Amino acid sequence: MTERRPTAFADVTDERLRGLFDDQSYVAEDELVTTVLLALRLGKPLLVEGEPGAGKTELAKVLAAGFDTDLVRLQCYEGLTAESALYEWNYTRQLLAVQSGDDDASVFTEEYLLDRPLLRALRHDGDTPPVLLIDEVDRADEEFEALLLEVLSDFQVSVPELGTVRAETPPVVIVTSNRTRALSDALKRRCLYLHVEPPSFEKERSILARKVPELDAAVATELCAMTDRLREEPLRNPPGAAETIDWARAVATLRDDDAGSLSLAEIRETLGCLLKEVEDIERVDESLLEALAEAAAEARAEAAR
Amino acid sequence: MTPGPDDDDTDSPAVDRDDHAADESDGAVAANRPAASDPPAFRAVRDHVREEIVRFARALRREGVGVPANASTTAARAIVVVGFDDEATVRAALRACLVTDAESIPTFDRLFPEFWRRLTAGLDTDGPAPRGDDGPEGALAPLGDAGAGEAGAGAEPESDAGQPGDGDDGDDPDPTSVAKASLGSVIADSGVDVDTERVEGGWYSPTGSPTRMDAIAGVADGGPSIAAAFDDLTDGLATVRGRRWRPGDERADVRRSLRASVATGGTVVSLPRREREPSDVRAVWLVDVSRSVLDTVDRAFLLATLRRARATWRDCRVVFFDETAREVSDAFDEPSAAAAVDALARAETAWGGGTRIGASLSTFLAASPAAFDRRTVAFVVSDGLDRGDVADLERTMARLSRRTAGIVWLNPLASVPGYEPTARGMERALPFVTGLFAFGGPADLAEVGRQIRRHGLGGRIGYEYDPRRGVTDTRSESA
Repeated sequence: MTERRPTAFADVTDERLRGLFDDQSYVAEDELVTTVLLALRLGKPLLVEGEPGAGKTELAKVLAAGFDTDLVRLQCYEGLTAESALYEWNYTRQLLAVQSGDDDASVFTEEYLLDRPLLRALRHDGDTPPVLLIDEVDRADEEFEALLLEVLSDFQVSVPELGTVRAETPPVVIVTSNRTRALSDALKRRCLYLHVEPPSFEKERSILARKVPELDAAVATELCAMTDRLREEPLRNPPGAAETIDWARAVATLRDDDAGSLSLAEIRETLGCLLKEVEDIERVDESLLEALAEAAAEARAEAAR
Repeated sequence: MTPGPDDDDTDSPAVDRDDHAADESDGAVAANRPAASDPPAFRAVRDHVREEIVRFARALRREGVGVPANASTTAARAIVVVGFDDEATVRAALRACLVTDAESIPTFDRLFPEFWRRLTAGLDTDGPAPRGDDGPEGALAPLGDAGAGEAGAGAEPESDAGQPGDGDDGDDPDPTSVAKASLGSVIADSGVDVDTERVEGGWYSPTGSPTRMDAIAGVADGGPSIAAAFDDLTDGLATVRGRRWRPGDERADVRRSLRASVATGGTVVSLPRREREPSDVRAVWLVDVSRSVLDTVDRAFLLATLRRARATWRDCRVVFFDETAREVSDAFDEPSAAAAVDALARAETAWGGGTRIGASLSTFLAASPAAFDRRTVAFVVSDGLDRGDVADLERTMARLSRRTAGIVWLNPLASVPGYEPTARGMERALPFVTGLFAFGGPADLAEVGRQIRRHGLGGRIGYEYDPRRGVTDTRSESA
C-alpha cells in the first residue's frame, strides 16, 4: 500500500462541485457528482467508461475550467510510445552539443529534456494542480497501460538518467475508455470506476436547454424523443449527447425561430448530424422515419400537457 | 442528495477520520452519543461497518464480479468521505470503488439493498446484526424474513441436488440465478418467467412435424457465391502470419532505420520495427449434425461451405458433434462433394439424433487440446437447441472463448427475420460468442464475411446488425 498524499481538493464539498457543474452547463446526475467528489477527495484517478458521446471527455474539460486550472490532455492511439507520452531527449541538441565538444558536461540534463503530457502534468507549477485527461486509453497498447501504472498509483515517473520526478500535489486524473477492449486489472485497481450511460430523455432535454438555448423548447423535446427512439435500433454508432447537440444546433440554424413540428423531409436531411455510419443511415427508411415522427409528436403532446 | 456528514469535518486529519465518520454515522442513524464516553459500542459500529464491507465485496466476488484486491480499503475510505446518511450516495460511492466493468453493475445493484439493510440494521442501538452461521466467506444471507424477497436469494425453494461444491447450504442463492448474474447483463434477465423459458427454450422433439418458416427475402435468389464470401472472411479473420511485412514489433527494420538516420547525420537514433502481416486463417468448424439442425439447414450448402473452408484456409479442421464429437476433416479433402459424403459414410458418421453440445465439445477439447490456440477462430454451426446440461455448455463455451481468437456461431434458425436467441442453450452460450449469424445460404455467409471484414472480430457484429432484418418495432409493440 502506498502512502496517501494530501490532495489539493480535500476540502471540495458536494455543493461546490454541483455549483461548478452548473456554472459550466454540465448536466450531472447525483451518482456522477458523488463519484467525482470521491476521486477528488481520495486523490484517486477516475476511470470513466461508456458509449462515445456520453460526455466522458467533457467531464475533464469542465473540471479544468471549473477549478480554473490547466487541462493536460493525452490522446491515446495504437502504437503510442513512452517517448510521446512521458518525455523525450532532444537528440538534435544533444548531438550538436556533443559534436561541438566545448565541454564535457552531461547531455542528460533538464536542458535537453522535452516534457510530454504525463511529465508535464506531474511537473506543473501553479496553485491548483492540473487536470490530466488520458483519453481513450483502450486505444493504446497494453504496454502503454503498464507504463501508466507508476504514474497513476504514485504520481511519479522514473527517468533513468535524471532520477524520479514526483508531483508535489497529485493532478486530477480522468482516464476515459470506450470499451473497445478490456483494460488490465492492475489499471482498474488503481482507479475509481464510473460508467456513464447515454443520457436519458429528460437529461438530454436539459442538456439541450443549456447548450442550445436558441432552439425552441418544444422542438428540442422532439429532437430528444427522436434520438431516444433511434437508440432503440441496433445501430453501429448509436448517437451520443454530442451528436444530439450537433443536431439541435443544425436544426436551430436552419429554422430561425420556427416552433412548428419537424417535417419528415427536415428530419431526413439533417439526420447526417446524428448518424455517422452509412449502414445506420441506410437503416432509416420510411417506416423508421414515421416511427421517429410519431415518437416526436407523442413527446410534444406530453410536454404540452 | 443530502450532503454527507463529512461536509463540516473536512479538517479532521486523515489518521482518525475513520473513527470520526463512524462515530457520526452512528449518531446519524442511532442516538446521538459521544464516542469517548461509550467506546465499546463505538468500536462495535466501526467493526460492523468494516465487516459488512468485506462481506459485501466477497458476496460480489462469489457472483462473478471482478472486485480488485484493494477495493475494500478504497470502499471504506469512500464511506468515510461521503458518510452514510443517504443510500443513493453510498450506492454511487461503493459502485465506483467495487465495480470495474459495466457488466457487473446489475449484480451490484441486486446485492446492494441487502448490504444496505445489514449495514443500517447493524448501526442500531442493539449493535451488529445477528449473523446466523454464515462466516465471512458466506453469501449475503437475508436478515430474517424481510430479506428473503428482495435479495432474490432463497426465494425459489427448488433444491439443487447434484450441484457439488456448495459450502454452506440454505443461504446459497439458486444456482441458476448465480449463473445468470455472473453472465452479466448481456442476456440475463432475472425476471424471466419459468414457463416462458420452457416454451421458448424449445426442446426439439423427434416426433414433432417440421414447419416451414420464411427466411429473409433475397436469400435464395442469385446472391453472392461462397467463394466471394470466403475472400471476405479470410480478410477479416486472418490471424496466421503470411509472407508480407508491415510496421510492427517483431524485428528491426534495417532499411527504414538507415533511411531515417540520414536526418540525424548518420546516427541511428530510432529503430523502426516490422512484423509479418497476418494473411491466413486457422479455424475449427464445429458442426452440429443432430436431426434438428439437419432439418433446417441446407445440407448441400453446409457441405460446400465446409469443403471451401478446408480448401481455402491453411489450417482448418472440421468436427461433427451431436451426442459425441468426432473429427472428420479428412473427408472434406475428397475431390467432389459426393466423394466427401461417401467418405463421411465410410467413417461411420451418424447423421441425426439428439444434441449434447456442452458434453460433446468438452470431450473434443479434452481429446485434442492442440486444436485451439489464440489464433484459432472457432465456427459453431448449431441451432442451440440443447438436450444436455446447460451448465456444461456454459463451461465449455467459456473455455473455448478463452482459448480461441473468437467464436462465430452460425445458426440456421437465425435466417428468420424475427429471430431472437431465446432457446435455452443458445441463450446460455451467447455471452461467449463473438458474433451470432444466420446460416441459411450463401447470402448469409456473405453477410458474415462483410461484417467481419468491416468491423473485425472485436467489433459490433452479429445477426442484429444484418441490414436485411429491417426496423425493430419495440416501440410500436408497447404503444
